[in-house]
Amino acid sequence: MATLEATTSASAKETRRRERRGTAGLLSAPLVWLLLFFVVPVAFIAAYSVGAVSLFPTDSGVISLEDWGRFLGGGSVYMGLFWKSIRMSFTVSIVVVLLAYPIGYFLALCAPKRKYVLLLLIIAPFLTSFLLRVLAWKVILGETGVLNSFLSWAHLRDPGDPITWLLYSQVAVMIVLAYVWVPFVALPIFVSLDNLDPSLLEAAGDLGASRWRTFVRVTLPLSLPGVLAAFLFVFIPTIGEFVTPTLVGGTSGYMYGNAIQDLFTRGLDWQTGSVLALFLLLVVAGLMALFGRFVQVRSVAA
Amino acid sequence: MTDTDRILRASLGRRDVLKYGGIAAVLAACRRAEESGGGGGGATSATGDAVVHPPIGEEPGGLQVFDWSGYGDGSFYPKEEKQFLWQAYQRSTGDTPEFILFENDDAGYTEVAAGSRYDVVHPCGYKYRDWVDLGVMQPWDTSLVSNFSALNPNLMESGVVDGQQYFIPLDWGFIAPLVNTDHVDFDEESFGILFDDRYAGKISWVDTSNMMYIGGMFLGVADPFDMTDEELAEVRDFLVSKKHLVSFFWNQSYDFWLAFKREEVWIGYAWPDTVGYADARGMNYRYMEPKEGRVSWVCGMGLFADTQNYHHAHEYVNSWASTEAAEFLLGYYYYGHTNTEADLSVVSPGVVQALGLDDPTVLDPPRSIPESYIPRRDVYQQYWSEVQAA
Repeated sequence: MATLEATTSASAKETRRRERRGTAGLLSAPLVWLLLFFVVPVAFIAAYSVGAVSLFPTDSGVISLEDWGRFLGGGSVYMGLFWKSIRMSFTVSIVVVLLAYPIGYFLALCAPKRKYVLLLLIIAPFLTSFLLRVLAWKVILGETGVLNSFLSWAHLRDPGDPITWLLYSQVAVMIVLAYVWVPFVALPIFVSLDNLDPSLLEAAGDLGASRWRTFVRVTLPLSLPGVLAAFLFVFIPTIGEFVTPTLVGGTSGYMYGNAIQDLFTRGLDWQTGSVLALFLLLVVAGLMALFGRFVQVRSVAA
Repeated sequence: MTDTDRILRASLGRRDVLKYGGIAAVLAACRRAEESGGGGGGATSATGDAVVHPPIGEEPGGLQVFDWSGYGDGSFYPKEEKQFLWQAYQRSTGDTPEFILFENDDAGYTEVAAGSRYDVVHPCGYKYRDWVDLGVMQPWDTSLVSNFSALNPNLMESGVVDGQQYFIPLDWGFIAPLVNTDHVDFDEESFGILFDDRYAGKISWVDTSNMMYIGGMFLGVADPFDMTDEELAEVRDFLVSKKHLVSFFWNQSYDFWLAFKREEVWIGYAWPDTVGYADARGMNYRYMEPKEGRVSWVCGMGLFADTQNYHHAHEYVNSWASTEAAEFLLGYYYYGHTNTEADLSVVSPGVVQALGLDDPTVLDPPRSIPESYIPRRDVYQQYWSEVQAA
C-alpha cells in the first residue's frame, strides 16, 4: 500500500514537473521574442528620451529630463496635439461602436444560419490594400469626387460650390478611420453577443418583457464587456494613427502620430520623438491597466 | 465534436473566442505591417580599401543607388527611365543597378546618419555639406567620367566641398509659385501669392521645413537660409496665421499636380515637373518669377566612401551625365540638366520659356536664389513642427 501511494505521488510530482517544464519551454520562445523586439526597443526609446543614448551630432548627449519637462510643462505644442488626437479618437471610437453594434447584433442574434458567411463578407475588404481603400475615399470625398458630383447633379448644390470640408480636414480623417475600424469592432461585439445564453432571452420574453425591454435590460448589460473591449480596441490604435491623417487630413487633420513620425524621419529630433512615443505608450498602458481592473476577459465570452 | 460540427451547431466557447480574436489580431497585424511599408534598404557591409581600387572586373556589381523615386527605379516611366538614365551603364558594365528610394533629402540623410550605407546617393545641393560632415562620402575622380567635360562648369563648382568634387551636379530646377491664371489674378509676382487671403482653400504648400525660408524670403529677412531665432519665430507665427488658407501640404510633387489638374487648388509651391504637366495639358498657368527671386535647386550624385563598386559608380554617373539623360529629364520631368550639349527641341516652347531653359542667366541671382546650406536646419525643422502641429 505504502509503496503504491509513494509511487503514485512520485509519478504525480514527475508529471507536474514535466508539465511545468513543458509550459516553460512553450513560453520561452514568445518571451524571448517579446524581450528582443518589444522590451529592448522600448527601453532604448526610454533611454533616448532622457539623453542616455544619442546617435546624431544634433543630439545633446547629456542625460537630462529637459525634453520631458518641456513636453509635460505648460504650453508644449505637442501636448495640445495629444489632446486633439484623444478627442478625435474618442469621437471615432464612439461612432464606430454605435455603427458596429447593430452589425454584431444582427450577425449574432438575427441570422443564425448564415452568420459565418456574413462575417466573412464583412472581413473580405481587408484582403485589399489599406492604402488603396484610403485613397478611394479621396475620390469619394474630393471636391470633384463622387459625393460632390452627385450633389451638383441632383441640383442640391451649385456646381461651382462643392462641399470643401469633406476632404483634407479632421472630418475626413474621422470618416476614413471609422470606415476602417467598424469591421474590427464588430467582431468582439459579435462574439460577446453570440455567447449570450438564448434561454435568458426566452426567459425575459416569458416574464412579459417586450423586445425593447429585453434588449435594454438583458442583452445590452451582458454584452457591455464586449462593447468596452471593442471601444478600447479602436480607441488605442487610433490615438497614434498617422497614415490616414497624412493622406486625407490636410493641414488641420495633423495628429499626434504624425508629429512622432516627422520628428523621427525629418527633424532628426529623436529625443523629442522618443518622449512623445514613450508618453503615448504609458498612456495606453495606463488605459489597459484600468480596463483590466474593471473587466475580466473571461466575461467577454461568458 | 469536431470543429465543423461545432461551427454548424453554432456554439462557441473560450477557445473559439481566442480563435477569432487571433484571426482579427493577424488581420490587424497585416494592416499595421502594410502601413509601415518597406523600411530602409540594406547597407553594404563593405570594409573595402579606400586607396587602392580594384579594376572594374573584380568589383562585385549590384550597384546600390539611393535615390528619389522616378530616377531610374521605374516609378513613373518604367521603360524610359531605364532607357535614358542607366541603359548605357548596363551596356558598358553588364550590371543592373539596385534602387533604394528615399522620400526626400532629409529622410535619406536620416537613414544614412542612422547607419545605412549604399554605393551612390542623389541628394541636393543645400545638403552637400551635411553629407560630407557625416564622414561617409569620398570625392569623385572626374577623369573617370568621360561626359564630365560637357557639364556646366559653374554648376560643377556647386558640388565642390572642401576643395574636392564630392558631388557631381546633374539635375536642376526651381521652386516658385505655380498659379492657375484662369482663376487667379495678381498684381505682382511674389511668393506672397502663397499667403493670399483671397484664395483660401485653394493653396498648397510643400510639407517640409523649406516653407520656413520661403516665409523668410517673403517677409524680407536678411538671410533666409540662416535666420535668427527671432526671425524664425516671426516666420512661424506668420505661417501659422496663414495655415488656414492651405488645403493640404504635399509630399509628392505628383499629389500637388493631381490637385492642380482637377483645379482643387489654384496656387502652389511647385517644381518644374508640374509646370510641364500643366503645359502638356494646355492649362493656363504662370510659373512665377517672384520679386524675391525663384529658388533654384541643383541635385547631384555622391559616392560613398566604403563602396566596393568604385568603377561601377563612375560608370553610372557617366550614364547620368550623358545627353540622353539630359533629354529625358528635360522632356519628361521638365527639369534642367547640367549637360550643356543637350538638345532643347525635345521640350515644348512653353516650358522652355517658363523655365528659361535657353537662358543661361536664369540661374543667376537676383532672378534665382540658389537653395543654400542651412547651418541650423534642425532648428528650422523644430519651428516647422510647431507650424504643423498648431
